[in-house]
Amino acid sequence: MASARLTLFWLLALPVLVFTGFFLIPLGVVLVSSFTAPEDGLTLAHYARILLDAYHWQVIATTFRIAIFSTLICVALGYPLAWYLVRIVQLRSWRRACVILLVLPLFTSNIVRSFGWMVLLGRSGLVNDALMSLGLIDRPMRFLGTETGILIGMVYILLPFTVLTIGTALARVDRGLEQAARDLGATPARAFWSVTFPLTLHGVMAGAIIVFSMAISAYVTPALLSGGKVTVLAMLAFQQYSTVFDFHYGGALSITLLVLTLALIGLASRMTRGRTPGAGGH
Amino acid sequence: MMYRVCRLSLAALLLGSGAAYADGSTLTVAYYGGNWGEAFDACVAQPFTEKTGIRVVAEIGNSTTTLAKLQQQSGDAVIDVAYMDGGISELAHEAGVLAPIDLAAIPNAATYLPQAVYKAGDEVFAVSAGYYSLGLIHNTSEVTETPDSWLALWDESYAGAVALPSPSNSSGVPFVLFLARSVLGDTSESLDQTFAKLKELDTGLLFDSSGAASNAFQSSEVIIGAHFNVGAWDLTDGGLPIGFSVPKEGVWATDARMHVVKGTKNPEGAAQYLDMAASPEAAACLAERLYLGPPVTGVTLTPDVERKLPWGEGGSVEKLHLSDWTEVNARRAAIVERWNREIAN
Repeated sequence: MASARLTLFWLLALPVLVFTGFFLIPLGVVLVSSFTAPEDGLTLAHYARILLDAYHWQVIATTFRIAIFSTLICVALGYPLAWYLVRIVQLRSWRRACVILLVLPLFTSNIVRSFGWMVLLGRSGLVNDALMSLGLIDRPMRFLGTETGILIGMVYILLPFTVLTIGTALARVDRGLEQAARDLGATPARAFWSVTFPLTLHGVMAGAIIVFSMAISAYVTPALLSGGKVTVLAMLAFQQYSTVFDFHYGGALSITLLVLTLALIGLASRMTRGRTPGAGGH
Repeated sequence: MMYRVCRLSLAALLLGSGAAYADGSTLTVAYYGGNWGEAFDACVAQPFTEKTGIRVVAEIGNSTTTLAKLQQQSGDAVIDVAYMDGGISELAHEAGVLAPIDLAAIPNAATYLPQAVYKAGDEVFAVSAGYYSLGLIHNTSEVTETPDSWLALWDESYAGAVALPSPSNSSGVPFVLFLARSVLGDTSESLDQTFAKLKELDTGLLFDSSGAASNAFQSSEVIIGAHFNVGAWDLTDGGLPIGFSVPKEGVWATDARMHVVKGTKNPEGAAQYLDMAASPEAAACLAERLYLGPPVTGVTLTPDVERKLPWGEGGSVEKLHLSDWTEVNARRAAIVERWNREIAN
C-alpha cells in the first residue's frame, strides 16, 4: 500500500514539476511584472492605462469579435462535416482518407498556412480571380488587411478541432433513440433538434471552447493576414515585448486577455450547463 | 545505483562543458537564423575555425532574443561574441552586458570606416558587421518609371498598393523619424505633420517581417514601397520584376553589429573572431551573399554586387541616413502608441 502510494507520488511529481516549471512560473513572472513598475514598485497603472482607454476597448472588441465569429463559423461548418463523416460515409477507407485530409494541415506550421492564404486572398490571388471570372465582382475585393481576411484564415486553421470533437460525440449517439423519436411521430428535423443535437452538445461545446481559446490568443494568423491594419490584443502584447520592451504594460495586456477569455468561457459553460444531457453520466 | 550513475554523468557533463569553454577551444557566437546565419557561418565562422582551430558554437536568435539571453547570463557568460542590430546594440550597452572592445588587439580594425566603430566616451562597445538599408522598391511592370522621391508613395495611381514597415518591425520607428526629418521636412517635436501625411497614405501592407514584405511584392499585392535591399535584390535575383532605388532624399539604413560579451572566458578568441570579420575577404563574402555594405575599406566587389549595396550605384556610407538610436529608443514607445491609434486602425 505504502509503495503504491510512493509510486503514485513519483508518477505525479514529474508532471506537477513540469507544469510548475514551464507553465506556472512563467505565467507568474508575467503576472508580477504587470503589477509592478521600475520606479513605483506595486502599481495598477498598467491596468488603468488599458481599461480606462477607449482605444484598448476597441482592440478588445475586435479580438473578441474575430474569436466569436471564428467559433460560430467553425461549429456551423464543422457539424455538417462531422455528420457527413460519421453518418453518410459508408466506405471505411474513404472515411479514413477524409480524416487524414482534415488533420493533415495541422502538421504544417501556422506561418506557412497563413502565407498560403496571403497568396490566395491577394488582389490578384485565386479567390479574387475566381470571383471575377464568375462575374460576381468587377474589381478585386480587399481581403488582406480586413477582419474578413483574418476570419477566413482562422476558420481554415481551426475547423478540424470542431469536426473532430463533434464527430466523436456524434459517433457515440445511440441511433435507437432517434428511431424511437421517429416511431413516435417526430419529423426528421424534430428528431434531430430534440434528440440528436442535445446529445452532441457536449462535443459542440468542447470544440467551441478549443476554437475560441485558440482564436482569441492567436498571433501569427492575425499578424500576417491583417497586413498591419487590424490589431488584436495578442499583437499589441507581442509588440510591447518585442519592439517597445515594456514588459510591464505588455504583461498587463496579456493578463487582461487571459482574464476576459476565462470570464467569457466560464459564462458560456454556465449557460449551457444543465442543457447538456448526460454530461454527468458519460 | 542508477541514480548515482546519472548524477555522476551529469557532473561529468557539466565539468566537461565548463572545461571546453575555459580552454579556449570553442567560441560561442550569437547570430541570426536563416540566410543571415548561413552567411555569417560561411563568411566568418568557418574561415575563423580554419585559421585558429577554435570551433564556433552558433547560438541562433534575433537581436532582441540575444539581448535577453545576455541579460540572463550576466555574471556567467556563455556567449562570447554577439551580433545585434543597431538600436538593440545601444540597449545592450546601457544594460551593461558588453565588454569594451580593444581595437589594438584587432589588426584589421585599422581599415574600419569611421562610422563603423561605436563608442561611448572612449570605450568601443560595438563594431559594424555590415550595413543594410530600407530602399524604395517598385514593381517594374506596374510602375514603369523608377521613382526618384519617397513622395511617389502618395501618387494616386498606387493607392492601396503601398508597403511600409510597421513599428513591430525594427525599422518601423526609425523610418517614421527618417520620413519626418529627411522627406517631409517635419522638424517638430510632435510629428503632427508626419502622422497627418501618413494617415493620407492608402497602404496595402504595413509589414512586421521582411518575409511578409517580400511575399506581398512577389504576389503583386503591393507594387511600391519600402523594403530592405537584401530582401529586394533577392526577389530581383529570383527573376521577379522588382527594382530597388535610392531616391534623392536618401535611404534609412542600419547595420548588424558585433559585440564582445562582458565576462567572456575567451577574450583572445573573440578578438581573433572580430579580426576575421573585419578582413576584406569576409566583408566581400557578406556583400556577395547578403548585399551587406562593407564596414571596412579595401574590399573589391564585382559591379553587379556593388550596385546592390545599401547605398545603391556609386554611393557610399555617406548616402545612408543612420539613426541616432538614443533618440529613437527614447521616442519609441510614444511613436508606437500613436501609430497604433492613428495608422494601424
